[in-house]
Amino acid sequence: MSLTTAELRSTTTTAGPVVSARRKRTRPPLVTGILLGALCLLFMSPFIWMLLSVTKPTDIAFKNPPVLGGYTPTFQAFVDLWETTYFASYLTNTVVVAIVSTIIALVIGVPAAYALSRFPSYVSAILLVLALVFRSLPRFAVVLPMYDISRALGIYDTTFAMAIALVAINQPFTIWLLRNFFAEIPRELDEAAMIDGCTRIGILRRVMIPLMTPGIATAGIFVFLFAFQEYLTAVVLTDSSSKTVPVFIATQLGQTLPMLQQAGAAAMLLTLPVVAIAFVAQKYLVAGLSDGSVKG
Amino acid sequence: MKTREFWYLMAPSLLVMGGLLAFPLFRTVQWSLEEVAYGTGGSFIGFDNYAAALTDARFGRAVVFTISTTLIVTAILLVLGYLIAVGLNRLGKTRPLVLGILLVSYVLPSLVAAVAFSWLFNDNFGGVVNRLIEFFGGEQVLWFTDPFWNQVLIIANEVWTLQPFAMLIILAGLQGVPEEIKEAARIDGANGFQTHLHIIIPTIRGVMGFVTLIAIMDVLRVFDSLVALSPQASVIGNESIQLYVYSVAFANGAQNLGLGSAINVLTILIILVMLIPFIRGIFKEAKAAR
Repeated sequence: MSLTTAELRSTTTTAGPVVSARRKRTRPPLVTGILLGALCLLFMSPFIWMLLSVTKPTDIAFKNPPVLGGYTPTFQAFVDLWETTYFASYLTNTVVVAIVSTIIALVIGVPAAYALSRFPSYVSAILLVLALVFRSLPRFAVVLPMYDISRALGIYDTTFAMAIALVAINQPFTIWLLRNFFAEIPRELDEAAMIDGCTRIGILRRVMIPLMTPGIATAGIFVFLFAFQEYLTAVVLTDSSSKTVPVFIATQLGQTLPMLQQAGAAAMLLTLPVVAIAFVAQKYLVAGLSDGSVKG
Repeated sequence: MKTREFWYLMAPSLLVMGGLLAFPLFRTVQWSLEEVAYGTGGSFIGFDNYAAALTDARFGRAVVFTISTTLIVTAILLVLGYLIAVGLNRLGKTRPLVLGILLVSYVLPSLVAAVAFSWLFNDNFGGVVNRLIEFFGGEQVLWFTDPFWNQVLIIANEVWTLQPFAMLIILAGLQGVPEEIKEAARIDGANGFQTHLHIIIPTIRGVMGFVTLIAIMDVLRVFDSLVALSPQASVIGNESIQLYVYSVAFANGAQNLGLGSAINVLTILIILVMLIPFIRGIFKEAKAAR
């Protein structure tokens, strides 16, 4: 297998072809359409079943064989989740961690990615290789020491520690993705701005960032999604006061049946925004994926 | 760009990665050579942890489980990803909608996805899949306690969550294949199957290689989903390497940090070997850009 990032980019380029598929095409063969329709249904089925399970009254939700109709849907599990657990605070923690880490990741990632795309040298290559290696590390190799360090520093179980840990963990991904987007912007633009008397920071702020908005949005959406769903880091770095929703769901799993339904309700509440983001920002997600970047 | 400017722009990112990735990683390597618990100094014991890891039957089982799962999932992702991508490539206006639906399983939090997936198989929730199997005359399957079927369940879940990624990358690759070579193949009398096998797949081999690498790395570190899919993992022997590290070094007050760190280091070595072709590519590109 031989593959350079240049080759990869030339074959996968941007999302352009994938998304802007408004090209005139012949109608797809019926068989393809049916197969893809069935595939969509199959892929959605766990999600649909969970939605059905959490909106059933508790006494029939766990019947075997399953009760498929003839009941009144109820949102009792959601009400119980809200009233009997600290779900609101877990959700707040999750959202705060995701937003804070996304902002910090972009603020420090954008300049770094810009520098890496405009400084062709062995130094850049080495830094990019290091980023690739860091991105592929087994997560526990950095998270367990982080646990030890955060305890020593007295910041264990704070949303700050969790957010900053996620900034670091996702930073290799952020700079690779952004660098690939920056690399598509011609350098002549930098030179023109420089002749007009712009400094590097000025170029970054006035020329690059406006041009890079789609790229930054893509990176931001990915980093946000990663942080929003992170379980491994959260289970190690948080305890009670900064617990996030995924950790809460995991602890509910081994419990009683009504608590299982609440776990499902929590899962739905975590999922719906993500699904909404996936649909609205589909263009950006596809762009990020096909730009040779990967899930953190 | 001047060298000074370069370091100036890189500094915040380097600081974060140095302090929060490089330093912890150094700690892991250090711990792997020590007998150590959290918050203590630890005492140097050389390669004893590595010896302990390599002779631990439970670790051996975790390795076999993880690697077999990885290979099977990767193979399925490539084949199925190619087929779906070819199908999607024929769609017109409906493509964004289909893509949106297929993306859902990929963007779901992996733990949540695994919980939702497990409910289809869980008799507590009506056991939909077992009911279907029964309907077609099959026997009940013990998805959570039979090691074989539990692994099938885990593989199915990984395929479900990673397939959209593989499919999208391959789709992007397919769209980079020039029309001319496809036409040339047609003129030379190749049928559809031959065109795929001899023309299109070799053209996008770079993309396929990329999907393979990412798939392998993602499945090698499987952890979150097992929490929901295999609650009995350690009892039935379906523990992944990362879950094993978690249980020896963290869960339930276990503080065998040295052993956990040694396993992390071994995993890193395997990953580095797989990254070599990519690393060479990056350096080649850097040379060309100078």
